[in-house]
Amino acid sequence: MRRSPGFRLGAGIPRSNPTGAVQGLPELFDLRVKVRSLAYLFAAGALLAGITLVLPHSREVDDTAVLLLACAALLVSILLLLLGEQARGWRLHAFLAAGTLMISLVNLAVGESLLYPLLYSWAVLYAFYFFPMRAALAHLAFIGVAYAVVLVIQDGPLVRWPLAVGTPAVAGLLMSRLLGILRLQAANAEERAGDLRQSESRMRLLLDSAPDAFLAMDARTGAVTAWNTAAERLFGWTAGEAIGAPLRELIFPEEGRAAHDERRRNLLGQGQAPIVLRLELDLRHKDGTVFPAEETLHGLTVGDDIVMSAFVRDLTERRRRQQEREALLTEQAARAEAERVAEMVSGMQLVVDAALAHRTTHAILPDLVSRVRGVLGADGASIYLAEDERLTLRAASGSSNGRESEGLDFGEGFAGRVAAAREPLLSPVGQLADHGSPPANPDADSLVGVPLLAGDTVTGVLVVFADAPRRFTADDLALLRLAADRVALGIDRSRVYEREHRIAETLQRSLLPDRLPRLPGLTVAARYLPAAAEAEVGGDWYDVIPLPGGRVGLVMGDVAGKGLAAASMVGRLRSALRAYALEGHDPPTVLDQLNRLLWTEAESTEMATLVYAIVDPADASIRWVNAGHMPPLLVAEGEAPRFLGGPRAVPLGVLPFPGFEEVSSAVRPGTSVVLYTDGLIERAGVVIDEGMSLLARAATDVGTDPEILCEHLLASLVPEGGAADDVALLALRNEPMADRFATEFESEPESLAAMRGLLRRWLRYAEAGEEETAEIVTACGEAATNAVEHSGAGAPFEVAGALRGRRVNLTVRDRGEWRSARRGDQGRGLSLMHALMDTVEVAPGPDGTRVRMQRELREGGSPSA
Amino acid sequence: MPERLVELDLEEQGEVVVARVTGELDIAEAGQTGDAILAGVGPSALGLVVDFTGLGFIDSSGIAMLFRLVRQLSARRQVVRVAVPPGGAVARVLEIVEFERAAGVDPDVATALAAVRS
Repeated sequence: MRRSPGFRLGAGIPRSNPTGAVQGLPELFDLRVKVRSLAYLFAAGALLAGITLVLPHSREVDDTAVLLLACAALLVSILLLLLGEQARGWRLHAFLAAGTLMISLVNLAVGESLLYPLLYSWAVLYAFYFFPMRAALAHLAFIGVAYAVVLVIQDGPLVRWPLAVGTPAVAGLLMSRLLGILRLQAANAEERAGDLRQSESRMRLLLDSAPDAFLAMDARTGAVTAWNTAAERLFGWTAGEAIGAPLRELIFPEEGRAAHDERRRNLLGQGQAPIVLRLELDLRHKDGTVFPAEETLHGLTVGDDIVMSAFVRDLTERRRRQQEREALLTEQAARAEAERVAEMVSGMQLVVDAALAHRTTHAILPDLVSRVRGVLGADGASIYLAEDERLTLRAASGSSNGRESEGLDFGEGFAGRVAAAREPLLSPVGQLADHGSPPANPDADSLVGVPLLAGDTVTGVLVVFADAPRRFTADDLALLRLAADRVALGIDRSRVYEREHRIAETLQRSLLPDRLPRLPGLTVAARYLPAAAEAEVGGDWYDVIPLPGGRVGLVMGDVAGKGLAAASMVGRLRSALRAYALEGHDPPTVLDQLNRLLWTEAESTEMATLVYAIVDPADASIRWVNAGHMPPLLVAEGEAPRFLGGPRAVPLGVLPFPGFEEVSSAVRPGTSVVLYTDGLIERAGVVIDEGMSLLARAATDVGTDPEILCEHLLASLVPEGGAADDVALLALRNEPMADRFATEFESEPESLAAMRGLLRRWLRYAEAGEEETAEIVTACGEAATNAVEHSGAGAPFEVAGALRGRRVNLTVRDRGEWRSARRGDQGRGLSLMHALMDTVEVAPGPDGTRVRMQRELREGGSPSA
Repeated sequence: MPERLVELDLEEQGEVVVARVTGELDIAEAGQTGDAILAGVGPSALGLVVDFTGLGFIDSSGIAMLFRLVRQLSARRQVVRVAVPPGGAVARVLEIVEFERAAGVDPDVATALAAVRS
C-alpha cells in the first residue's frame, strides 16, 4: 500500500470490511512505513476536506467544522511525520482511532453524502494491512460503532446501516487481500533474489576454488565473460584484465587462433544444439610461454546469448609424467631385453659347460638337451645322433618324451629332412602336413631343427619344439644354431674323449696286473686309485714279478704325463722290465736297460721315475734301485716305519749313463715293504718331506698286514673325493714262519723252485740239518712235480707242512689224477720219496691226489743254507 | 745266488765235451738242458762229462735227463760220466736211483775226464 487514506471528512463513509490483514509478515514493514502511511492517511483526509470546501457543495455542510477538521487532520499528519519512529505500539492504534473519530466527525458535518462513509474504507484498509488480525477487527468494530453513532445522530434510515458498515468492510478487506498478495509476491521475489545471489556466490566460489581454470566467452563478441582464480594462475591474467578482453588474443598462440575461430564459427552455426568438445591444444601464458593443455569446451545458448565456456587443465605435468612413464617403460623393456640376453648368454654358457664336460657322449647328452631346452624356453628338445645316414634318438627333454621316432633315415621325418638338407628348418605344424611329415610330434605347434655338424659331416640333429601358442621366430632359430654349434662341439669332443679314454683305460687295465701272483711265504696287496677329476689315465703303474727261486720283483713307476702317450709308454716299460727281470738281471742292470730304452726313444722327452726291488724270502733280503722315485717304506711290527733311503738316482730317460746303484736291506719275517707313487702323499701346499712324514705316521701302529696297510694308508692320506693325482700303492710282507704252513702254488714248473725256497725256509725254522733239508726238499719236489704235471689246467696245488716236535709232516695236494709207476721217471720219483722220507702215503681220489710224507728230524739245527 | 735257476756251460776239452750245470735242475729246466747238452756233443766227440759239482738240486726230472743222455750217447758209442762230489744232495739222489748202473760217477771233473779218455 503506497497510498494511505487521507482525511476523514464528514460522515457517509462506507463501513470497513471486517477481514483482510496480511498475517505472518508483521515485520515486513518497518515502523517508519507504518507511521508515514498513517500520516498520509490524515493528509489525504485533510485534502479531501479542503477540496469539499473549495468545490460547490451542499448547503447543509457546516463549513467551519469541515475546515477545523481538515486543519486538525493536517496537524495530526504533520505530527506523525515529525514523531516518526516514536509513534509505535498503542500510539499507532490511538492515532488510527483518532482518525476514525475524525472521519465520523466529517461524516456528521457533511451530512448525508454517499462519498464520506467510504472514508472508513481507508481506516479499515490501514488496520488490516498493518495490524494483526485481532487489532484490525477491534478497529473495524470501533469504526462500526462510530459510524452507527453518526447515523443515530443524523437520524438516517436504519436500512443504510448494514450498507454503511458493510461497504467499507468489504472494500477494505478486498483491497487489503489484493495488496497482501502483491506483498507476498514481492517478498518471494525478494527471497528468490537472495537465493540466487547466494547460489551465484557459491558457484563463483566453486569455480574459483576449482583446480581447473574456468573461463567463458560470449561467442558473438569473442569477449571473456568469466575467469576464475585457477584461470588467473594458469594464464597469468587477472580476472580484471581478462574479463571483457578478446579470448582469442588472450590465451591462444598465433598458430592456434585459426582453429579457435573455426570452433567459434561452428558454435554460432550450430544454433540451439549444445556442444561439448574435449581438445588437447597448446595455449599461451601471459608471459608468452606456450604449454600443452586439455580444454573441455561447452557451447550453449542462453537466451539470445551463445556462451562458450571451458575448463582448461595444464597438461605439462601430465605430459612430463607420461614421458617419464614412457621412458620408464622403455628402460624396463631395455632392461628386460638385457636380462633376456644375459640369460641367453648364461644359458649358452651352461650349454658350453655341458658340452665341454670331460665326459662320455652318453653322459653329456641328457644334460645338453635339457640345457638347450632351457635356453630356448622350449617345451621339448631332442637330440638325434647320426650314424650311416640314419638318425637315432639319443636324448630328449621336456614334453617331447616318447613322441619322437626312435630311428629315422636321412630325409625321413622332420629330423631326417634337417639332416638331409644340412640346413636348419623352422616349421609350424600347419606346414608339416604340407611336407608330408610323419606323425612325429603331432601335438607340437612349432618345430625347429638344426643339423649338428662336425666339419662337413652331419653328426646329428637337434630338434626343439613348443606347444601352442608359442611360435618360434627367426631369433629363436639363430639362438638354436648357436646352441647347436656348441652341442656339436660337445658331442665331437666327447666322442674323441670316449675313444681316447676307452683305449687308455684298456691300456691301463692291461698295464696293471689283473691279479697278484701267489708268492710262497709272502703276502702282497696293491691299490690303484685314478685321480678324482675324471682325469685321463695316468702314468702310474706297479708290477709284481715272481722270479725264479721264490724271489719276487716289485715295481713301482710313474711316467711323466697323462693320457694315451703316458699309458703306451707305461706299456713299453712294463714289458721291457718284465723281460729283463725274468732274464734274471739284477736291479741296476734292469734299470740301465730301461734307461737306454727311454733315452734312445725318438721322443726323448719321456721320463719316468721307478723303484725296482727284488725281495728274496729265502734270505729275508731286499735289494733295490731307486730312479728318482719316492723311497720305499719298511714297516715292521713294534718299530717305527723306516724309509729305504740310499742313493736316489735321476729318473729314467734323463741321462744316458746314470749309473744306478743297488742298495740292500733286510726284510725280516713279519716286515712289510710299502711302495707308492707321489699321488699318495702330494698335496697342494704340502712339501714332499711333510708328505713323507705324514705317510710314516699313517703307517705307524697299524700292523704289517698288506691289505690292512693299503686300506689304512688310502683312508688316512687320500682326501675325501679322491686324490688330485693317480695313486698307486703296493705292500708286501715277508710272512713269518710257524709250525704250520699251507701255501698254494700255480700248477706250472716254475712254481717248483719257489716251493723249494719256501720249504727250505720252513725247515730252517724247524732247525733241520742241511742234509735232512736237502732230502726232504727233494722228496717234496717229487710230489710237487707230479702235482704240476697232472693237476688240471689252472688249478693250483697246495703244499702244507706241520711240525710236531721233531716230526715233519708234509702234504702235497693236487686236483689231478695220480699216475702210478707207469713210466720209469715217475717210478723213480716215488722211489726217491720213499727213500728220502720215513713214510709216504699216496691217496688218489676223484678230485685229486694227496701225498702225505713224514720224517723225523735227527740232525741238529743248522743256521746255514 | 744265481740269477737263473740253471746255468749251462759247454766246453770241449780234447775230444771230450764238458757240460757244467749249475743251479737247480728240476722239471722246468731238465728237458731244455738235456737238449742243449745233446746238441753240444758232436758225433766226433769221444764222450761227455756232466759236471754237477756246482749243482744244488736235482730231482727225478734231472735224473731222467741223465738217463736220456746216457741212452742216446751210448747208442753213438760215446761215453758219459757224471762228476758229482760225494756226500751232497745230488750224490745222494744219484745213489738212491742207482745211477752208477747206467754210467760212471766220479767225484770230480778231472777224474771223469780221465775215465772217459781211458
